[in-house]
Formats: sequence, structure tokens, C-alpha cells
Amino acid sequence: MRIAEHPILGAPEERKTVTFTHDGAEYTGFEGEPVAAALKAAGIAIHRYTKKYHSPRGIFCAIGRCTDCVMVINGQPNVRTCVTPLTEGMTVDTQFGAGGEDRR
Amino acid sequence: MTRYDLIVIGAGPAGLSAAAEAAANGLKVAVFDENARPGGQLFKQIHKFFGSKEHKAKIRGYDIGTELLKEAEELGVEVFLDAVVAGLYAEKEIVVRIGEEVAHFKGDTVIVATGASENMLTFEGWTLPGVMGAGAAQTMMNINRVKPGERVLMLGSGNVGLVVGFQLMQAGCELVALVDAAPRVGGYGVHAAKVARTGVPFYLSHTVVRAEGTDRVTGVTIGEVDAKWQVIPGSEKYFDVDTICIAVGLSSSTQLLKMAGCEMAEPAPGAGYLPVCSEVGETSIPGLYAAGDVSGIEEASSAMIEGRVAGISAAGKLGFAAEETVKARLTVLESALSALHEGMFAPKNRGKALDKTEEGYDISTNLLKKGYLADEEIAKYPGVKSVSGIHPVIECTQNIPCNPCQDSCPKKCITVGGNIVTLPVFDEKQGCIGCGQCIAACSGQAIFLVNEDIGDGLASVTIPYEFLPLPEKGESGTALDRAGNVIGTAKVTDVKSVKVFDHTNLVTFTVPKELGMRARFWRKGAAV
Amino acid sequence: MSANDRSRDIGAFSAAPDDDMIVCRCEEVTKGEIRRAIYDGMFNVREVRRFLRCGMGLCQGQTCAKLVKAIIARELGISQGELEDAAGRAPARPIEMRIFASERGRDE
Repeated sequence: MRIAEHPILGAPEERKTVTFTHDGAEYTGFEGEPVAAALKAAGIAIHRYTKKYHSPRGIFCAIGRCTDCVMVINGQPNVRTCVTPLTEGMTVDTQFGAGGEDRR
Repeated sequence: MTRYDLIVIGAGPAGLSAAAEAAANGLKVAVFDENARPGGQLFKQIHKFFGSKEHKAKIRGYDIGTELLKEAEELGVEVFLDAVVAGLYAEKEIVVRIGEEVAHFKGDTVIVATGASENMLTFEGWTLPGVMGAGAAQTMMNINRVKPGERVLMLGSGNVGLVVGFQLMQAGCELVALVDAAPRVGGYGVHAAKVARTGVPFYLSHTVVRAEGTDRVTGVTIGEVDAKWQVIPGSEKYFDVDTICIAVGLSSSTQLLKMAGCEMAEPAPGAGYLPVCSEVGETSIPGLYAAGDVSGIEEASSAMIEGRVAGISAAGKLGFAAEETVKARLTVLESALSALHEGMFAPKNRGKALDKTEEGYDISTNLLKKGYLADEEIAKYPGVKSVSGIHPVIECTQNIPCNPCQDSCPKKCITVGGNIVTLPVFDEKQGCIGCGQCIAACSGQAIFLVNEDIGDGLASVTIPYEFLPLPEKGESGTALDRAGNVIGTAKVTDVKSVKVFDHTNLVTFTVPKELGMRARFWRKGAAV
Repeated sequence: MSANDRSRDIGAFSAAPDDDMIVCRCEEVTKGEIRRAIYDGMFNVREVRRFLRCGMGLCQGQTCAKLVKAIIARELGISQGELEDAAGRAPARPIEMRIFASERGRDE
């Protein structure tokens, strides 16, 4: 899903590769990019399941407004992945409900 | 609490312009923005802007953003990023979250330039991952450099839908269809035409019935709507997509203005509540201004001018600029703004279904309904003349505020005139030399160079091309017409990529003579 | 007749096929719940919002405010312009209480 070469923007600048985990599985992404971008690049679409109807949600506004893309990051729930920079060793987990709830 | 002469909320085109204008007049200015990067939406705008020189026409949005940011920084404007303004009060005090604490700031004047947010619409499955705002798609591809999806359906034919749709293709996504419930394309015809000629079908009077999929979008069903916006049974069509983008308009982000107690009113039915402002953007609270999309949705070009208007007015109010200085500056700015407020897409014409241009030319109904001009319509516009030798074909058929084509031609073959919404006129007597400057200068990618007869039964066509991979000289590909239909084989004879064209490549191909006035796009691979 | 006129007779609630459509994404409030609230006598954005929490979730109504307004206007048979927006209140964006309570310079 990454855009290697763009007709207007050219090639993305060199960025440091970091490792993170998503629900325990290891992935790589670029340091400082939004967590949501790294997940999208890894083909992961579901960020959380809602509290009432347990329905899946993903990226919706990508600018930190809608809060639909929140996940549990380094153990903290409700973190907006679209505006949170990826760091080395980050743990990114699917959020269930308001966070801290059991998987269903 | 820290005091500033001017506090600007929002570091987008309006906010940065306001800050720069005020700082240039000696004000101590702070700009607060909740995002990690400044520029608002400017850095996502990878297309060339419309307007004239004073509006930075034919410059791409991100370059305008870079320039604006540099100007503000050089003038000593303090820009606080990741700084969320949580409260704005009538005393012109703000509460800001910066890092792990909240801080208070007081401005002698405040300019609110918080922009707009995307409207949404509901359909079955609209909460599924894969349904997103067009702005989200733009952020993902142009900032984060990740494709929002592989196969995308765009809902909305306004300029946002058309521009983002085109950008999706530039990013390497497949734009499967463009859908709008309205019976007419909402955005500029030139934006629609550059999407349509690549072969993307337009479904006007259609809406999304449902997003298919259980955990994420795996497809979409659309249907035709009747006069009461109800889906006509049996009109449903299914597309295999992984992403649905919603581009159904913007709403001003007026939350802070409401909080401060500014008087709000609905200027026109359906426009939503907007701050009641003076001519210079001052709200009902003296010294509190609104500029850019927050005071009414327009283009970034207008937002930048509105920002400067508010900035110089604040300088005048606080006594930093003399009355005559302010007056003189406002005259210049207001004339620049009024140039953008002309034409069929002007705020005053919103919602009107115009049939003719200001010059009296018919506005193409094909363009409005399908996104492209029909072959038989094209000859009636003043930028299109069938003459011998190489000549520009200017497929600019609506009154939009734009004139870089006029300035670009070294032989003065193209005239727009004083009112920049006038359709460009091609004068063959000036002797076109085929330099191609006009193609690259046209923000709407609506100019082509054609030689209708180069011998051997062939015509040559030069098109603007902003996709990858670039064709190679000698490469045979497929010629598409304005509707995106395959009409024959096209052999590339030249590819011009020069710096001054700013990433608009000029691809020249030859086609059988009878296709010279029809072929408008080149696709890799043999005609099938 | 003002938008807030409680004597307005809008008839009885009747179910619609899209009543289970989510309108407020954050608080997962459906169109049917909103419509029913209107027929229960909640005639403006503020009342519906307080009663159902639509627009009171993490995003503070940034996505659904207009949608909710449109539903109320349609059910009452009035234009959206006749309905006031919900009040703008601080904080305009969600801020953790921990941060909201730590004011810069307080301990200096």
C-alpha cells in the first residue's frame, strides 16, 4: 500500500524503520509516521470494535477529529492512531469497547 | 498568562496569511494549531491552484504552504503546533493544551481561522473500515504516502471529490466510479474532464445504497435516485471496491466562535450558522475576527486573502498601521478577492443552474452530466479553432477565475482579458510555436496542442500528463477520447519533463488524422 | 410557529426501514432512537443530545451534529436554519482530566 514513487511528490524521504507489534504480531513501519499509516501499509483495517454493537471501525478522518481510529497503544486505550507517531517497540492493540475490556 | 498583540487560531492558509500580514506591520503574533504540522490543508493540495498571479495561480498547494510558512517565520510569528485551543472567551483569552498541561494566553486581537470539517452522509455500512472522508484519503496518500485503498469509489462530484479522485489515480489507486446524488457535476468542469478522460465513469443522480462487507468494505452498491432522492428499485449497480470516499461538502468549524459568544446567523437557507462579520471579518465581538473557511466555505486562495484582510485590520485597530495604510492595503486585497468572487462557481451563484456563460456560450450539459465535453460541442468555444499547423486547443468552457494561460504564451495567442473568469480566446494569427507553456500553465489540464495534419494521414496531440510511469518515446499505447473511450492506437513521439512545467509532463503522440480533435488521453498498453 | 413550539403536532412515531442506521458514530446512537426521541417531545438539538448522548462522545459531535439536525428538522417539518446548533463549550477538544488540571505556571 506504500506509494514508492509519486508523479508530483516523487519518492518519500528516507525514514528510519522501526518495529512494532499489533495484537502480538510483529510489523515494521517508519519512525514518526502516524500509527494508522503504518497499519494501513501493513494491510490492517480494523482498529477497534465498538462498545454497544461491537462493530469494527477503522480510519475515517485521518486528522485526529473523529476519534474513530483509536486503539490501545502501549497499554493506554483511546489513543488516536492517525495523529500518534510510531516509535520503536510500540505495542498497538485492537481496542474493544472503551478499552480494557475483554475480547468478544 | 502570556499576552500577544494578535493571537491566531489555526495555521492554515487563512491563519498563516493573517499572522504574516499583522507581523509585517509590527504586531507580536502567536499562531496556535492543533496539528503537528502547520499549513492546514495546503500541504495535501498537490494540484496547481487557479486564479491569477496575485492569487499564486499555477503554483501547487504545498509550495504555497511552504512559501507562506517561510514568510510568517521570517516575520517573527511564533507558531505553536500540537497546541489545542480548548476554549476561547469574549475577553479574547484562550485556553490551550500544550503537551501535558494547559496554558492561558491573551490577545489584544484574535483571528479565528479554524477552517472547516467534512460533511458526512449515512448509508448502510457507513461505519465499516474502508469508508472514509475524502480528506482522510488525501492525508493518507499525500502526507503519509500510503494508498488509502486499491479500488476506490468517490461519492461527491464537487471540487473536493474531483480533485481527490484525480489524486487517488496519481497515487496509483484505481478510481472505480464517481457518484453524486445531484443531477449535475458540482465542481469545475475542467476537474471533471481530467478524471473522465482517463475512463472513470460518472454516475450523477446516484447515491450509495450500501457499503458491502462484514468487517471491512469489500464492495459497494449504488442506485439511481428520483426527484425526491429515493433510490429507484432495480437501478442498483454493484462495484468491487475496498474503499469508499465521501466528499459531500464542508461545514465551517465555528465551535470556538460560538463559545466566545459571537453572533451567528444563517446567511442563506442551508448554509448553516456562520459568524456575522463586518467587511473585514470582524465578528460581533470587537477585535475578534473570523477568516477563511470558518466564516464561509471557499477556496484556499480566498482564505489567504481573507486572512490578510483580517491581519491588516487588526494592525489598524491596535494602531500599528495608519488609517491610510490600512485603507490602501484593503483596496488591493479586496480587488484580489473580488476577482475570485466572479464566475459561475462564485458564492453568489451557488445553487443556481446556469445554462450559458457570461459571454453567451452554452454550458455543456454533457460536461455537467457525464463529466466531459462531447466531440461535437467542442468547436463552439472561443479557445478551440481548427486551423492548420500546430495550435492550442483550450477546452475551458465555464467561467472560472483563472488566467495563467494568457501569461504563459510567449506569442500572445491566448487572451483572457481583464475579468479573469472570461473564457480564454485563441487567436491563430499570432502564430503558435508549439512551445507547450500553456499546457503546463493550465491548472485545469484543459489545454492541448494539436497539429491536425502532420502528413502520412496522422495528427499529433500533446497532452498534460501527471501519472507514472511516464511513457517512453516510441512507445505504442491506447488513445482515449474525452469520455475515456478507447478510440485507437497512439504512438508517443515526445515526452517533455522540464522543471518550469512543475511536474506536468507534456506527452506528444500521433494518432490517425481523424482522431486529432478527439484523442485526449494516453493509456499504457495496446488498444483492446 | 417557532421551532420550539411544544404544541406542534407531529403525529405518532412510525418505524422506518433505516431506523437502525448509526448516526452518532462515537456513542452509537441510531436514527430510530433520535426519531423516537423527537416524537417523545424533544424538539431541539440540545434536548436530543442530552437525552441520547449523540454528539457527546469523544469527537464532540464533529461528525454527527449536522446529521442529527437534519433528522430533527425533517421530523418537525421545519428548515434546518430554524434549529439552533448545540452550544459551544470548552473544552472544544477532548482533553484528559489529568492534563486539564495541570495548569502551566501554577507551581512556579
